[in-house]
Order: sequence, then C-alpha cells, then structure tokens
Amino acid sequence: MGDKQVSAPVMLSVRGLRKNYGGVPALQGVDFDIPTGQICGLIGPNGSGKSTLFDCCTGLQASDAGQVLLDGVDISGWPMHRIAREGRLLRSFQKTVVFQTMNSEDNLILAGQMASFPGVTSTFSLGGASRARVTALRERARELIEISGLSRVAHLEAGQMSGGQQKLLQFATMLMPNPKLVLLDEPLAGINPVLIEKVIESIQEANRRLGITFLVIEHNTDVLMNLSHRVIVLHQGQKLADDTPEAIVRNSAVVEAYLGG
Amino acid sequence: MSITLDSPRAPSPRLPAVRWGLSLACLGALLLAPQVVDNYFLHAMVLSMIFLLPAHGLNLILGYTGMLSLAQGVFFGIGAYASALMGIHFGTGFVINFLFAGLFAALVALPLGIPALRLRATSFVMCTLGLVVIAQAVAKNWVDLTRGDMGLSGVSRPKFGFGDNVFTVVQIPHYFYLILGVAVLATLAFIALVRSPAGRCMVAIRDNETLAESLGIPTWTYKLLVFMLSAAFAGFGGSLYAHYETVVSPLVFQMYYSNTILIIVLGGGLGRMSGAIIGSFLFVAVTEALRITPELRMVLYGVVLLILVFMFPHGMAPLVERLTDFLSRVGLKKPLEHSDAGSVGGPHGR
Repeated sequence: MGDKQVSAPVMLSVRGLRKNYGGVPALQGVDFDIPTGQICGLIGPNGSGKSTLFDCCTGLQASDAGQVLLDGVDISGWPMHRIAREGRLLRSFQKTVVFQTMNSEDNLILAGQMASFPGVTSTFSLGGASRARVTALRERARELIEISGLSRVAHLEAGQMSGGQQKLLQFATMLMPNPKLVLLDEPLAGINPVLIEKVIESIQEANRRLGITFLVIEHNTDVLMNLSHRVIVLHQGQKLADDTPEAIVRNSAVVEAYLGG
Repeated sequence: MSITLDSPRAPSPRLPAVRWGLSLACLGALLLAPQVVDNYFLHAMVLSMIFLLPAHGLNLILGYTGMLSLAQGVFFGIGAYASALMGIHFGTGFVINFLFAGLFAALVALPLGIPALRLRATSFVMCTLGLVVIAQAVAKNWVDLTRGDMGLSGVSRPKFGFGDNVFTVVQIPHYFYLILGVAVLATLAFIALVRSPAGRCMVAIRDNETLAESLGIPTWTYKLLVFMLSAAFAGFGGSLYAHYETVVSPLVFQMYYSNTILIIVLGGGLGRMSGAIIGSFLFVAVTEALRITPELRMVLYGVVLLILVFMFPHGMAPLVERLTDFLSRVGLKKPLEHSDAGSVGGPHGR
C-alpha cells in the first residue's frame, strides 16, 4: 500500500531533530519524510518522544537542533500560530481539548477564522466584509456539525457535551481551516468501539476526499496498521523503523521494543 | 452515546428582542431619573456610570480574555491626570481631553504590556500590582508635573459650543445626561468588540490559550491589544472623573480604585455583557445604602461582599439572564427543549 506512493511529493520532512529536557534526551536526531496525501502512523513505547516530536513540529516547543520542512518550506523556529495559519499544519492533543464555553458552531468558526481574515486588526471589525466571512464560516461549520452527527447538541456549550461528542468536535475543528497536514495525538484514546469506527471513517474520508495528509500517534496498533499507509516507530528518542504496516509487524526490532511477542 | 434529558434548553427565538426591550426600558428609566430623584442620588448614579467605563475594560481583559489586571485603577488615574494636564497646560476642551485621555492610557499600556504579557497567571497579576505602586510614587513625587500631594485643581467643566452659544455643564442633571451618553456609547463599543470575530478570539484565549495558538490565533498580539483597549476604557473613565470632580490627586492611584473596579465586575458577572452595568449600579447602591451606619460601614460592606460571593458566585448577571430567558418564553405554546434528542455521535446515530 505505502510503497506505491513513495514517489509522491513530501509534505513533512524532519531532519536531525533533537530535543533535551534538562539533561534527558527526548529526541536524538530524528529524520523522516511524510509523503503528501498519506496517512502515516507514529508508534513507540511511552516516553519514546512521540508527543515531543509533535510539539517540536508544531512550534509548541522549540527544538534544540534540526530542521522541519513543511511542503518544502523551513518552518523551524516559527511560532505555533504561524505554523497553523500560514503552514496549515494543525494538531490535536492527547487530552481532548475544545473551547468549553463556546458551542460547536463557535468552536468551528474560530478554528477557521484566522485562515479567513487577512490579519488581526481585521477581526476587530463588524463591517460587511467581516460579516460575509463569518457567514461563510458559519455555513461550513453547520455542514461539519451535520457530518459529525453533532446537530442535536449544537446549541450546547462544548463543556456540557460528552467526552465522545467533544472528540468528534475536536476532529471537525481540525478540518475547518482546510489543513494540508494534521497531526493526531491518540485520537482513539478513551472512546467506545462504535465511536472508534466513526473516527477512523472520518480520517479516511478527509484523506481521500480532501487530500489531507495525516500523522497519527495511536496505541491501538491493530487499528493503526489498518488505517496507515506507512508507520514510523520511535524508540528512546530515535527512529527505529519506517516502513509499510506489513513490514513493521514483521520487523523483529520493532516487535522486541514495542509490539511484543 | 446519548445526551441526558436535562440538557439545557435551546434559547427562545424571542430572547434578543426581550433583551433589547429590557435594555431600552432601563435606558428610558435612566433618562427620566433627573425628573424624579434628587441630586444626591443623581451624583451616585454619575459615579456608577463613570466607573462603568473602567469596569467594561476590566471585563474585556479579565472576563473575556482571562487575565486579571489590577492596573485598571492606574489607567483610570492616568486618564484623569492626562485630561487635567491637557486642560490646564494647553487650554483644550472636554472632548479633546477625553479622547486624548483614552488614547494616552492605551499608549502607556503598550510598553507596559509588552513585557508583562510574557508572564502568565499570578506573575502577570503581581506585575500589574507593581504598576499601582509605581503610579502612586510617580504621582506623589513628580511634583513639577503633578503638583504632588496637592494634586491638580481647577480642571475645567465640560463646555459645548453651538454657534455663538456656549453651554457649560455645571449642574448635576446636566452631568448626568452627558455621562449617560458616554456610558451608552462605551457600552455599545464594548458589545461590538465582544461580538466581533476578535471577541471570539478573546474567549478562546480565556478557555484554552494553547489550543487557540494551535489554531493560528496569535494570542500574545490579541492580549496586548486587549490590554491597550482595556486601558483606553479606563482612561476615558478617568477623564470623565477629572472633569466631574474638577480635582485630581494621587489618591486616584490608590488600590481602592482598582479594587472597586474589580468588585464591580465580579459582583456584576464576569464575562457577561451586562455584568459591568449591573455591578456598577449595585456597587454604588450598596455603598450609599451603608452610609446610614458610618461606624460599621466598611464591616458591613465586607459582609455584603461575602454574602454576594457565597450566594451568587457568578455575579448578579445570571439572575438577570434567567429573568430575560423566562420572559422570552412567556406565552410560547411549546417549550423549546431538546428532550427528544436521541442517540448521537455514533455512525448509526446521525
């Protein structure tokens, strides 16, 4: 599956990424490429550096060394908001986070807002152009609410919604600004089997129809192997393997370090 | 997965009309106030409307953006001094002084906010507290400019020219209408701000700053702009104060003013449009009512605050919101409930 698309252009390229917490190395020179239009899995034992890698790629944390190229542009050192707005690289967090006091519609409008407005000062306006932009965002938000099955709870503040509903809202939020690349940190953690299917379908649909590239951290390896075109394995802050799911499950080093007997 | 039957009801479609109706009724009552109450009560209401401006500013930065600033009294004082100094040294009129005071307070907030807003939570609060101490020291010791403890007296009363006729605001009812007009304009500006797309960004920063940043919102820039806007609101309020009292002294930088503004916003309802309005009138009403026992006034004031905190932890605005919600549903045949909401979220529940 994955080897057919190796020649595709690269969406994310990570080169020699290093990060230390005090004296403890979290990432020790990680290199990999994510081809455009693929769903890539990222696995590894706890503490292997997966979330740190996400943090460094998205600007939440500054890396100590190395380079991150997004669609050919060096985004190393960019602030997080610039990576999201100009790079159209979005991420989810391990713990589901939504804007608790806003309803679903406002959560989604907000997610698409910065991509729609030319700058910060233009968002202070209530003029015609501003209203037209918000109206367009509202229409798209309503579509996504409908697709996500959140219509009946759309009037509730997100903080009043169940954990599963918040998870769906969080995923819809990622799609709102037409991202090029989405990093999902354990999207299936803590949700029921029915919802797992729904989230997987949503990821595949967004990848197929909208052409969004995904990098997914997930401990449910069975699901991840079925979902991904390629899988990268991290171990103690280093890349242990980078191959198709079929090859990864046969890789003895990966089996020993993470998948087990 | 299903939602529970006690999910909050969807708002009534009549709610906006009821809100505007009640607001206009309150405004109408205020317009009639000088005809029915004496100057003492008018003076109290003038003070509450003056404090409404910095309270709107604090509501913007604390209620909507989630940053506690104790420097609101500082910008109130800066506005008062800026207005007084402009009038005294350059002979400028009320309108220019008023506009300058707001602008100047916002400009002062810029260099203060750049380092302060790098700090988070308690460190930011401590930083704004430091500004109060610095402002007091400057007002007392820069005697050449501020006249120290003597303060600036003789601030001109507002004058408006209509052709050859000049109308000077001297009587309390005239001040009342002038300040009511400014308070209404400030409230409309506040509503426009929080309803703008930027208002949504402010709430996002309050709810989860990291998430907001991850969605492309330059949170630091927004916080700086909100800090400046909140300072401008306070500066405008300070200018009104200076032109009403006609005297400005270092007392205006006392912690009392920042505390008062904070109590108004917390007591009224944090992060709610009506919060500062309710709070400013409530605060003045409580303060004035307690004048009947001068010896126990501050003790009783503290007791009233404690009762408010325990009985109405979200301020008085939710009570008003419940009332408007109730009124908006009166006469509706079918309750707008979502009790029929079935299973949602799963692939078969859509």
